[in-house]
Amino acid sequence: MTRMSSWEARRLVLRNDLTELQRLAGWIEGWAQRGVSADVSFAIQLCLEEAVANVIMYAGAKDSRLVIAVDVERNGTTLVARIEDNGRHFDPTQVPPPSVATSLEEAKVGDVGIQLIRSFASGMDYERRDGCNRLTLRFTEPQTASQRSG
Amino acid sequence: MDIAVEELAAGITKVVLRGRFDTTGAVLVELPFNKIITEKSRIMVDLSAVSFLASYAIRVLLVGAKIIDGRGGKLVILCPDNNVAKVLRTAGMDALIPVLQTESAATAVLTS
Repeated sequence: MTRMSSWEARRLVLRNDLTELQRLAGWIEGWAQRGVSADVSFAIQLCLEEAVANVIMYAGAKDSRLVIAVDVERNGTTLVARIEDNGRHFDPTQVPPPSVATSLEEAKVGDVGIQLIRSFASGMDYERRDGCNRLTLRFTEPQTASQRSG
Repeated sequence: MDIAVEELAAGITKVVLRGRFDTTGAVLVELPFNKIITEKSRIMVDLSAVSFLASYAIRVLLVGAKIIDGRGGKLVILCPDNNVAKVLRTAGMDALIPVLQTESAATAVLTS
């Protein structure tokens, strides 16, 4: 079921603490089970978790002044999520893809979070504005056969 | 996030994970998982009851597989659901850690 006629914009503000990821997950689950397909719900949960974890672990390590705001709104069949933080400048769209390892011995640990966002989100944009990082992610519901023909 | 351990035949240890293997869950199971990794050398990680997988969880699995591999042992993944399997593929894990759909297939890889 992908109808979202009663869908409203939503906003959550998080502190610089990894335990906040639990609150983020609960918040997403609370609304993503209504009117969002299972695949898009999974993609949103994954991408927001990765994006916020990145901010907490790298953009504002140990900085109690760091605040992360997550906004989600619907635009037609597309969900748009914005993650804004006042941490140090970090543009995930400029992070190169991780190298492809062919053996466990050479495999590098880490660096897959942004790769997951690139793959699971339909689009990703970044801007630095007023001293804040603003990451915009888009998630598009796949069209059903009846939607395509109608 | 729950973790349970079953000892199977042929020296195989089955590690059954349940719940959301997200960053919070991965931090919770990291220590007990690493303890198993240091003690065992044929490990089957059952993800059939895992509904969500984040990059920190991939880190836990990859570190474990690298340690086991360095000792000449093996670690395989059993039965991830569709989206969890897609996360593993996207992260390139399926090229490094065997992902099997049945316990018998996993057992065959671990004992080969």
